[in-house]
Amino acid sequence: MKLKWTSYPYIVWMAIFIIVPLLLILFFSVTSEDVFRLGEFQFTLDNFKRFMSPIYLKVLGRSITLALQSTAICFLLGYPMAMIISKAEVKKRNAMILLFVVPMWMNFLLRTYAWLTLLGKNGLINYIIKSLGFEPLNLIYNNKAILLGMVYNFLPFMVLPIYSVLIKIDNSLIEAAEDLGASKLEVFTRIILPLSIPGVVSGFTMVFMPAVSTFVISSLLGGGKYMLIGNLVEQQFLWSGDWNFGSAISIVMMIFILISMAIMAKFDEDKKGGSLW
Amino acid sequence: MEKNIIIDLKNVYKKYDDLEVLKNINFYIRKNEFLTLLGPSGCGKTTTLRIIGGFEQPTSGEIIFEGKNIINIPPYERPINTVFQKYALFPHMNVFDNIAFGLKIKKLSKKTIEEKVKNILKMVNLSGFENRSIESLSGGQQQRIAIARALVNEPKVLLLDEPLGALDLKLRKEMQMELKNIQKSLGITFIYVTHDQEEALTMSDTIVVMDSGEIQQIGTPVDIYNEPKNAFVAKFIGESNIIEGIIHEDFVVEFENIMFDCVDRGFEKKEEIDVVIRPEDLIIENFEEAKLKGKVISVTFKGVHYEMLIESDNFLWKVHSTTMAPVNSLVGLSVLPENIHVMKKVR
Amino acid sequence: MRRLGKLVLLLCLIMIINFIFTGCNKKEAVLNIYNWGDYIDPTVIKDFEDEYNIKVNYSTFATNEDMYVKLKSGAGNYDVTFPSDYMIERMIKEDMLYTLNKNNIPNLKNIDEKFINLSFDPENQYSVPYFWGTVGILYNKKVVKEKVDSWNILWDEKYKNEIVMLDSQRDSIGVALKKLGYSMNSRDINELRKAKEILIKQKPLVYTYVIDEVKDLMIAGEANLGVVWSGDATAAIRENENLEYVIPKEGSNIWFDNMVIPKSSKNKKEAELFIDFMCRPDITARNTDYVGYSTPNKEAIEKLPDDIKNSQVAYPNDEDLERCEIFKDPSDFITKYDIIWTEIKAEY
Repeated sequence: MKLKWTSYPYIVWMAIFIIVPLLLILFFSVTSEDVFRLGEFQFTLDNFKRFMSPIYLKVLGRSITLALQSTAICFLLGYPMAMIISKAEVKKRNAMILLFVVPMWMNFLLRTYAWLTLLGKNGLINYIIKSLGFEPLNLIYNNKAILLGMVYNFLPFMVLPIYSVLIKIDNSLIEAAEDLGASKLEVFTRIILPLSIPGVVSGFTMVFMPAVSTFVISSLLGGGKYMLIGNLVEQQFLWSGDWNFGSAISIVMMIFILISMAIMAKFDEDKKGGSLW
Repeated sequence: MEKNIIIDLKNVYKKYDDLEVLKNINFYIRKNEFLTLLGPSGCGKTTTLRIIGGFEQPTSGEIIFEGKNIINIPPYERPINTVFQKYALFPHMNVFDNIAFGLKIKKLSKKTIEEKVKNILKMVNLSGFENRSIESLSGGQQQRIAIARALVNEPKVLLLDEPLGALDLKLRKEMQMELKNIQKSLGITFIYVTHDQEEALTMSDTIVVMDSGEIQQIGTPVDIYNEPKNAFVAKFIGESNIIEGIIHEDFVVEFENIMFDCVDRGFEKKEEIDVVIRPEDLIIENFEEAKLKGKVISVTFKGVHYEMLIESDNFLWKVHSTTMAPVNSLVGLSVLPENIHVMKKVR
Repeated sequence: MRRLGKLVLLLCLIMIINFIFTGCNKKEAVLNIYNWGDYIDPTVIKDFEDEYNIKVNYSTFATNEDMYVKLKSGAGNYDVTFPSDYMIERMIKEDMLYTLNKNNIPNLKNIDEKFINLSFDPENQYSVPYFWGTVGILYNKKVVKEKVDSWNILWDEKYKNEIVMLDSQRDSIGVALKKLGYSMNSRDINELRKAKEILIKQKPLVYTYVIDEVKDLMIAGEANLGVVWSGDATAAIRENENLEYVIPKEGSNIWFDNMVIPKSSKNKKEAELFIDFMCRPDITARNTDYVGYSTPNKEAIEKLPDDIKNSQVAYPNDEDLERCEIFKDPSDFITKYDIIWTEIKAEY
């Protein structure tokens, strides 16, 4: 592979910060000794075997289910939003996109914390509800709060790819379909929707992946009551000190994500999705 | 009221913000005729077409289709189909599905659809192309598929928005002939938009010349070519020499300080007018005997004729002739009275 | 290029001047201190630096495990660090600590005897107590009108959604074990399973599992019953006088953070000097007042204001303390804890 000399710094960067850590994790996952006694290791698949027990598979299943739910909600909310923005006039469009993007300039953790002040028992929403005379709602530290946090954080990742594909759809295609007798609904189902599939696929991928591996949102908004696969990995590394097991779980997650990416890629064979990866 | 009229545009007016795009458009289209809207970019011809198609709404005015005002009817309910400038073929469908699109919307039976598609492909000389993808087609093929897709729905009127613009010259000329033939054989009314006056002259039964949102002239190709109503039409259609003159009385006009016999009447005595003479109507004469004299400035060989620029006392004449006069030679020019066109001056 | 050259020259000049001036203030030695976050009065460090002309590089960690990993990996030559009891036990087992030369730490005598010679470091060969505390129940007496003296109240249905538990394996499992009458350091898998069951039963009543936020939630009234460390309790009560702290009758956890010298240290003598300095009564009193946790230094306690000195929260009486256990290092048993905790957390 012929490379320009200017690309060498990037290769070095990639090697140090991406490839080496990946290899390390792979190494830890198949060994069993204390990570600090690197000299005396032995290869084993025990870590993977341990993961195959019901409790851990349950956690994996839960994480995937939750990720699928939040992806679905993001899609149901995000597609119409993308459509609305794409139909607006150019000046308004950019303002609307900005509305989506600006929150992302703020730290992810802080944004999630902000929900605590909104959703708490004495938070803003309940304050309004109570002053209207109703019973306060249980909005936080449950499954719904986690879903809310995930949708809130990941919605832009669904809207933006779909939007970018929708605006590329030539308006004359829509006029041609109308000209040939298609009603507005038929135009949507036969022309717009099929042509927007690459964007949808890309949106799915960009939401599902972080959703399945999240641990912050489940910790903060779920009140620590919902252990997801990300939390499990965190637990291994930060508390139990079992880096080998933690690495094995990480490898399982990575394989899983690679499989889902491969499935998604089949839908977008022409690479029209404009996805980030 | 002519029973033959299929579409009648009455007082169509269109304004975008502060820009008047169409001012007082009035004309009618007869059944089964090939009518062309001709004009330069921005004259409003495409807007007019889109209003007929239903893709735009006029600010005021009516579109009467077979006696009914269809202003408020959306495109998908009008018995009109369009061939778009960039074809607008659906990239995610193959040729068959593109053509069958309108038929599927109408919920025709599978067998009927297959048959109709087959026939229309035959008509545009693309039999067997059913399973091809759109990307694999050449420009000319895509164009014909676009036409097929529109025609297969057997519309009463077909709108064509500069469909041949992207094709090379030879293909364009072939397609012009094909389109004309299809129109004649199917008996469908065609409304065609183009800025290419030659194309308009070749294909149309009626030409509507437009400029700046107004109709300049309506007529047959021969009428428009031979009797342009004003300087704009004269300049736009064919090539012209336009020179100022005075019409002294009926059939007598003066320009270049020379009196000429002409065939125009109905002007005021000594009215200032514009005279239009086509380059091919100027005849190269002997210098000594001619009324109008000049010197040849340039000569260009155009294959069919020579194009010469000849400078007289007051004017630079463009002359198309098979007779060649070399550069710097002194020549005379003459013109037959019926080829001198007198037009009212544009205020 | 000329511009660049001038810039480089300027930089060099600045660096040289810098060196000269730092040379003027050149300290004899440098100590790397590695402590918990917000766990020392900064003026105390300054006083130490000025008195002994030793520069202190102060850095912090959030958990024992973080500190352990840092030390094990050999990053940074820390001279003094402040692990908790069970972690000291592990570090001693793994030969990570220097034994202390008690002659260099005369102020050790100020430490209350009951905090000396504890199980995790017999004879205090390796460590000197710094702060200590207990784990107990913080409750809002305006909402919880009955007497609170048992862990059982955290399983009471009528306080559904008012209960906050610690998001920490050992502390929460420990609470459950104590409630069942077992030891917090149990290695009996059946006892652990029972603890798991009751924690799963409790889960629907729990508002949230957090670590640092218990205090804030209870001050704000978002929850009215919580498991907290005594230091947090003191701070919370200060903010909200409706709060009260109690060590349940079944017993609880008592914990110690001690000062140790890791073997990575290259300045053992100076480190011991620092430890001795931190045991001076006046220094300890000032430090305790700032940090808010309980000091093991009996001379320093005398110097504290009365309301703290006599606080049952900060300085409970001996009978309460007797019911408390110190955590032991679970070593390889931690895997079982991990599975139990996962099963509790994943149950929903």
